Amino acid sequence: MSRFRVVGKSVPKIDGLGLVTGEGKFAADYSLPGMLWGKILRSPVPHARIVSINTSKAAQLPGVRAVVTGQDTLKRPYGQFEGTAWSGADMYALAVDKVRFVGEEVAAVAAVDELTAEKALDLIEVEYEELPFVLGIEEAMRDAAPLVHEAIGSNIVHRVDYAYGDVDAGFARADHIREDRFATEPVNHCAAEPHAVLANFERTGKLTVWTSTQNPMRQREYLAGTLGIPQSSIGIRKPYVGGGFGGKHGNVNQEFCASFLSLKTGRPVKIVLTREEVFAATRGRHPIIIHLKTGMTVEGTITARESLVYLDTGAFSSDSKHMLGRMGNHLTSLYRTPAVRTRGCLVYTNKPTCGAQRGFGGQQMRYADELQIDLLARDLGLDPLDVRLRNAVESGDVTPHGYRITSCGFKECLETVAAASGYREKRGKLPRGKGIAVACGGYICGLRVPIESAAMVRIDLDGSVVLSTGSADIGQGSNSMLCQIVAEELGVTFDRIRIMTGDTDLTPPDGGTFSSRVTIQAGNAVLRAAAEVKRQLLQAIGEQRDIPTDVLDVVDNQIVLRDTKRPLVSLEKAVKQCPPLLGTGYYLNRDDVVQMDVNTGAGNLSPAYSFGAQIAEVEVDESTGKIKVEKITAAFDCGFAINPQGVEGQIEGSISQGLGQAVSEIVLRDRRGATLNPSFLTYKVPMVTEVPKITPMIVETIEPEGPFGAKGVGEGMLLPVPPAIVNAVYDATGKFVNSIPLRLDKVYLPA
Amino acid sequence: MKRGFRLTVNGEPYEVLAAPHATLLEVLREDLGLTGTKEGCDEGTCGACTVLVDRDPWLACLTLVGEVQGKEVRTVEGLAGGRALHPLQESFLEHGAVQCGFCTPGMLMTAAALLAERPHPSEEEVREALEGNFCRCTGYVKIVDAVVAAGGRQNEPV
Repeated sequence: MSRFRVVGKSVPKIDGLGLVTGEGKFAADYSLPGMLWGKILRSPVPHARIVSINTSKAAQLPGVRAVVTGQDTLKRPYGQFEGTAWSGADMYALAVDKVRFVGEEVAAVAAVDELTAEKALDLIEVEYEELPFVLGIEEAMRDAAPLVHEAIGSNIVHRVDYAYGDVDAGFARADHIREDRFATEPVNHCAAEPHAVLANFERTGKLTVWTSTQNPMRQREYLAGTLGIPQSSIGIRKPYVGGGFGGKHGNVNQEFCASFLSLKTGRPVKIVLTREEVFAATRGRHPIIIHLKTGMTVEGTITARESLVYLDTGAFSSDSKHMLGRMGNHLTSLYRTPAVRTRGCLVYTNKPTCGAQRGFGGQQMRYADELQIDLLARDLGLDPLDVRLRNAVESGDVTPHGYRITSCGFKECLETVAAASGYREKRGKLPRGKGIAVACGGYICGLRVPIESAAMVRIDLDGSVVLSTGSADIGQGSNSMLCQIVAEELGVTFDRIRIMTGDTDLTPPDGGTFSSRVTIQAGNAVLRAAAEVKRQLLQAIGEQRDIPTDVLDVVDNQIVLRDTKRPLVSLEKAVKQCPPLLGTGYYLNRDDVVQMDVNTGAGNLSPAYSFGAQIAEVEVDESTGKIKVEKITAAFDCGFAINPQGVEGQIEGSISQGLGQAVSEIVLRDRRGATLNPSFLTYKVPMVTEVPKITPMIVETIEPEGPFGAKGVGEGMLLPVPPAIVNAVYDATGKFVNSIPLRLDKVYLPA
Repeated sequence: MKRGFRLTVNGEPYEVLAAPHATLLEVLREDLGLTGTKEGCDEGTCGACTVLVDRDPWLACLTLVGEVQGKEVRTVEGLAGGRALHPLQESFLEHGAVQCGFCTPGMLMTAAALLAERPHPSEEEVREALEGNFCRCTGYVKIVDAVVAAGGRQNEPV
């Protein structure tokens, strides 16, 4: 029998009813009287000076209300996460003087309907003076390469270099050393909902923006900076968001255009990106080249490692400086590494900007690392799973880059998936064409960033409870999880909780949804707000009845005597006899949790770390190269599962998304960097008939820093999927493929 | 040039003025205010806009409004058909089949068409029926579970 009444049990999604009935509104579902439609003109060339833009024909088209270009803006560059060392202010909301990739935002139009706005785009005359351009990472690093940003003087916008321990001695001690090169391709988030925004600038000076964002407070900051108006005059409304995965985290262009056009016209303006625009212009995952070198003893103990990473950020730096450091950080996050050197270069190219995507900083490095661990194990005749167990980090470890590992169920995850999949019985005994392999993952559970989390909990006049939080549920179910925390802490039933969220005017500040931060960071803020309002309630009741507060408790909506559980009064009645009950709480990172050192990538970045392992079983038709992923068995240490059904959902969804990255997803670009396949017809996402049988398992370790012991769960289980599948294909065919996705031509073996 | 169209949506008759090239999706969302039907790709590849037309699942983004004159259109707003919730809607909530929920209306309508035809579908039949509906969040696991379970409790056709 659990000591908890609400947490640890699956609950129906607290805001699910609106989604199954169609009544819940996403950003594109909002309309206002007098609303105009906005459209964005995008660059058709990869690199050019903008000589002139003539908007007069477009402006004269009947139905057009405004046309804006970069020249009308403040021309103020903005950076991701301003106030951090990794923020590079090199981005513009609308291109100023130059365009740097095919798809960059050049101008925007507001018209009475969508068709008229589209026609107006065709009437905008832009004279481009084309410049030499560069698309490949390695080409961009050459001395004579065209410069994407002349002012920086190099396409290498940032470097990291970090060494720990005696690397040379480590390699000298190794019985076996491998050096491999790995590469990954750009992939898009493919949230089901395309980005959408409705902006309404009123004469009072108030700008209200309904937008599909995973980070409302940041969105407000970016808009204030690019529009040149105070943050307090902007209200962001985050309605239901149809998935984010990092793609609704940083870019501000469509929000800026809708807001600026509304400001110009005095009318509400809506912009909904087409799927083509989502593929061609939003910030997908970084393509990357990783050189990885590892030394190992004959027993399978890692002695030293060295990585060199070339990270392609596209035309602007967005989150990429952080990403570059995180790559090194992730290399040492799972396996004990006595000596390591991690180096990296961040490179501009004339391609769409890359940015945050689920598993940011970890996904590509884990792919390379998990492949090389398997290769080393095979070279040495060892079981790759045993090699992982031998080197796995444990609770109490401090990694070379500075992660302080608190709760850690990594080894238990490995043992769990091995047992559940029958790995030890199957390995090496499968017929040719069938393969089984393991890979691991894990993730941070929040970062130290300038905006952290606060929350308010108040008890309403009828005894129901209202949680007010600025955290952003983008589909993952954090609203339900946070309400469970309130219900548990306060002693009320889940059905008594309501949540007010998604409104920067009404909710306390919160950093938003990224870095798997919501569970620990927003969760603790909410927990403390609930504890505070409970303290107020019991103090008021104790004073009225002359009972010491510490003998009172709240259980299932009743004030009771703590020891006997004898009910004294219902919450509904009690609240009428109390002063207003309003608790606030916030969570700040512990002092030992720091912002990453931007030049080394080092630091204890997160209050806790999650861990997991997966076994993939595949069947390969070698005559065609076709891969069928039959089964994935997954175990994840999320500390404590507040909502087990929700945790399973995160694991299952991660596996499906990871499957796409492993076998089919790639954004293809032509010789000028234009996106060739901006459609689900040609960019293949996994559909229901392609996902394997998935067995999700939860390993609980009770994280001291987490609310009820919980850690983040949104990202860590994406990381193992591509390497587990690639390793299993290797097991099935003996063919090692060092780049994903595993297209047919890479796996096909001529007879 | 706009012209008049008569259509029946969720049992209600409507007359709308629309361009002949207007899609059913545009008319549902922009003219009738039925925004439960979603636009995910506008080219028939994601299934988010699936509605029932005379009980068959149609992609509203590829359907011209003129094509549904004289036919019965049902959207997610009309799925429950007078009940509080359709068994599929209940089952989706119970099974955790909804994450972001953007694909949910299309999933529900496709599944409703299946259940009307085959009240107790197998897991395989469910997967086959949902083949054209894209979901990025769930890995489809709990959606398939929810439809199979709803089949067990479905007692009246849509």
